[in-house]
Formats: sequence, structure tokens, C-alpha cells
Amino acid sequence: MLARIEYALRETWASFRRNLTLTMAAVLTSAIALLLVGATFLIQRAFENLLLQWRGDVAMIVFVRSDASPEQIALIDGTLRAAPSVVDVEKLRYLDKPESYAEAQRIFAGDPVTLSLLTPETIPTQFKVVPLTEDTNLVRSLAEQYRTLPGVEAVALAEDEFEVISTLSGFVRTVTLIMSLVLLAVAIGLIWNTIRTAMFARRREIEVMKLVGATNWFIRIPFMLEGLLQGLIGGVVSCFGLWALNGAWTGGVATFKPGTGISSLVVPAGYLSGVMIVLLLLGAAVGAIGSAIAATRFLDV
Amino acid sequence: MITLENVTKVYGADTLAVDDVSFAVAKGDFVFLVGPSGSGKSTLLRLMSREELATEGDVWVAGRNVSTMAPSRVPYLRRTLGNVFQDYKLLMNKTVFENVAFALEVIGKPRHVIREQVPFVLELVGLADKQERFPNQLSGGEQQRVSIARAFVNRPVIMLADEPTGNLDPATSEGIMGLLREINETGTTVVMATHDHRVVNMMRRRVIQLDRGVVVRDQERGVYE
Repeated sequence: MLARIEYALRETWASFRRNLTLTMAAVLTSAIALLLVGATFLIQRAFENLLLQWRGDVAMIVFVRSDASPEQIALIDGTLRAAPSVVDVEKLRYLDKPESYAEAQRIFAGDPVTLSLLTPETIPTQFKVVPLTEDTNLVRSLAEQYRTLPGVEAVALAEDEFEVISTLSGFVRTVTLIMSLVLLAVAIGLIWNTIRTAMFARRREIEVMKLVGATNWFIRIPFMLEGLLQGLIGGVVSCFGLWALNGAWTGGVATFKPGTGISSLVVPAGYLSGVMIVLLLLGAAVGAIGSAIAATRFLDV
Repeated sequence: MITLENVTKVYGADTLAVDDVSFAVAKGDFVFLVGPSGSGKSTLLRLMSREELATEGDVWVAGRNVSTMAPSRVPYLRRTLGNVFQDYKLLMNKTVFENVAFALEVIGKPRHVIREQVPFVLELVGLADKQERFPNQLSGGEQQRVSIARAFVNRPVIMLADEPTGNLDPATSEGIMGLLREINETGTTVVMATHDHRVVNMMRRRVIQLDRGVVVRDQERGVYE
């Protein structure tokens, strides 16, 4: 058994070095494909962060001053409920201070300056309003009314902040997803081709191996390991790339003026590690698929 | 040891290579398959080592029906066979020692077995002093000896040789035949396809003559006609 493992590893390494140029091409292509996959994940997560407060068809947020009295809050609530033809009363939601603070923690994750100014005591609470009507003018005129109510700090409309970004997010997601899928297919193809070339270079050896009674798996495994290794190395390279990219982005975003919303476009560190693990697994899978197809298809020499 | 029962092999649509051939080879026999090119000698050897499947009929080798054998069992059949070819099929980037060791390595034999068996079998074929040479530093006869050593190192019960003297001069051929005789004397069954009159007449062993895929003569202690 030990002799077999030793043989497989030695052959894998030898073949890896022999085909260095092709191997590099395969590794780099998988790295770039995986980097794009990783970037898609991160972009998606960052947009989600930004759009967090508008989730669930919320079209208007009424921010309430942190020093508003309970009577003022009740008045605002009453006013909102007094327009049942426009406001979906069922879905009307009030976020108290702890809830608003928790949400802000996520939204301003990339904006430590703003975050440090917020405390659970000073944070504005908010009403999230889901309208029943598609008529944006009606919602807008309603917003004007609410602005004048005592205790209201501000009224934000999804139309102003959300829709452009939402469309942009959808577009970016589609484009990066298609590009990464195409590149992944190319990576599989390149690994397939590298393994095929490696097998062709060793066709005499494979012929002799079959002749003296080596099993197909014994012949195949070094080639499959080689492909797996290529994919895995691609995965490691892409992880480094993603880590550097995310670091540069997060650093750059923090210098933006607070409150522009751009600073919400960051991801938590835990999510980044999760994506990296996915990339490593995906890299290994790409390598295994490409080489398995080649090793099975071209064994008859 | 080897039994063919009404074996027919058709290549492609209508190229008849072997036509209803039946014969048996007993354990320890030495058999020549003779006949002109295209008479079906090589095809018979390839049917025995299951590089080809019979179109019709059964091929029994070492107690196993090769025709109905699952593909996954074929490697284990091959481990009981030693194959020798006209073109040696040596690996040019490996030394003599490594070429022979390779045959044991790829069937998962441990290293101490390889260290023990390879020098022993190289001694047997008379190449003990050339273990570290590469094939292109050897004569044709020496290369064929390496190939025989590789075929024999795993102690096969049957040796299949396809024109092993085809590229060699008469004197060298005699040496190779001496080696095959020695191997046969250890109890290994030898089946050799050839159209080399000299070696057949020299050995005086069983001769099975083929012509256009049909057995036309099967004679104990025969000569090439």
C-alpha cells in the first residue's frame, strides 16, 4: 500500500514539473476564474448590506428623533395607520433603539467613524413603511406630510436611494456570474488538456503498465491527483488575490465621506473566510472534474 | 493451460483474422505459431492476453474464460502472463534496472521484493553488469533480453512472445531462444508467434501452422515448412 501511495505521489510531482508551462496556464486560469467567483460572492454580500434597510418591499423609512417622547411616537404611528389605502398597515414595522442599533452595525460596518458616533441611546428609531400603491408621487406627497410631524428626524424614500443601486446590483451580479461560469468552464478545459497532454507524453509507459497488469485506477490516480493539485493551487492563489482585493477595497471605502452609503459596501471578515473555503473546494472540484474526464477518456492508448 | 474453442475474430465489418480455430496448450508446453504475415498469429496472442475480444468462441487462459471476463479482471489476468514483442517496448528514459522494476512497481509490489527480484532476473538473462545502462546503449539482442526479464520478473505461468527474434541476427536469435527454453524449463508455458524458419527448425517443438486464419497443421516436434 505504501509503495502505491509513494508511486502515485512521485509520478504526480514528476508530471507536474515536466509540463510546467501548460500547468501554469491551467493554474492561473483557474485562479482567475475562482477570483471572479469570490468577487461575485463579496459584491453580492456588500450590496445586500447596503440594501439591508430596504428589504421586504420597504419604500419609505420614517426616522424618529432619539429624544422623541412616547406620545410623539404614538402620534406618528397613528398617522401612518390613518392612510390604509396607501400604507400596508399589516406590514408596517417599528424598529426600537436596540433593533435600529443592530441594523446600523451592519450597514456602517465599513464606516468606523459613523459607527463610533452611534450609541444605542442616540440612534434614531424608525418606521418601515410598505406602500400598497405603485404610484410613487402619492408616496412622495405622503412623505412630505410626515416630515412635518413632531419628533420626525427625516423621511427616506427607496426611490431616491434604493432603486438605482438595486438595478446596479442585479446587473453586476449577472455579469460576474456569467463571466465566472465561463471562466470556470475554460479552467476545466485547460486542466483537461494539460492532463491529456501529460498522458500523451507518457503513452508508452501507460501501454507497458497495461501490459504488465496495472489496474486502470493505478494508472489514472497520479493524473487525477495532478489535476486536483492544479485546481487546488489555483484556489490558493485566488484566495490570496481575494484577500488583497478585499483589503484594498475596505481600506478605500473607509476614506469616503460618511453617510454616502458607499461605506456600506463591505463584508465581515467571517464571510470572507467562508468564501475562501468555498474557493478552495471549488478549485479542487474543477481540477478533479477536468482530470477525471481526461484520465477516463484517454486511458485507451 | 490455454484452450481455444471455435474461436473466430473479425476486425471491422468483414476482415476475417481468425476463422474457427480450436486447440489446447498443456502446462509447460512450448508452442510455435507459424505462418505468413496476416495469417492470424498475432491476433491469437492478442486474444490470449485479452488485448482483443473474440467475435465468437471461447478463449480459456490459466483456468479463466477470457471471453466473458469483466474488464476490471483483465489486469489480474495479465499478471499471470509475460508478453514479449518484436519491438521490445522498453521505456527509453529508464535504465535496464528501472525498466524491469517498473513491471513490479505498477502492480504494487513492495520495494524489498523489487530489490530482490530484479537483480536475480537480470542475472538470469545475462545482463547483471548492465543494470544502469539505458536501452539505447544496448544492442538489439540485449534489449530483447531486458524485455524478457521484464516479462518474467513476476513469474508468469504463461509467456506470450510475438516475433521476439524478428529484428535480430541469427546468432543473437539463438541466444534469445536459449533463454526462452530456460524459462520454459522452469515450468512456464511458452507460446511464440514467428516466421523465422531457423529458430523453429532448431527447437523441434510443437508447431501450429496458420494460413488466412485457419489452422492447417498442428504437429508435435515439427519444423517450419
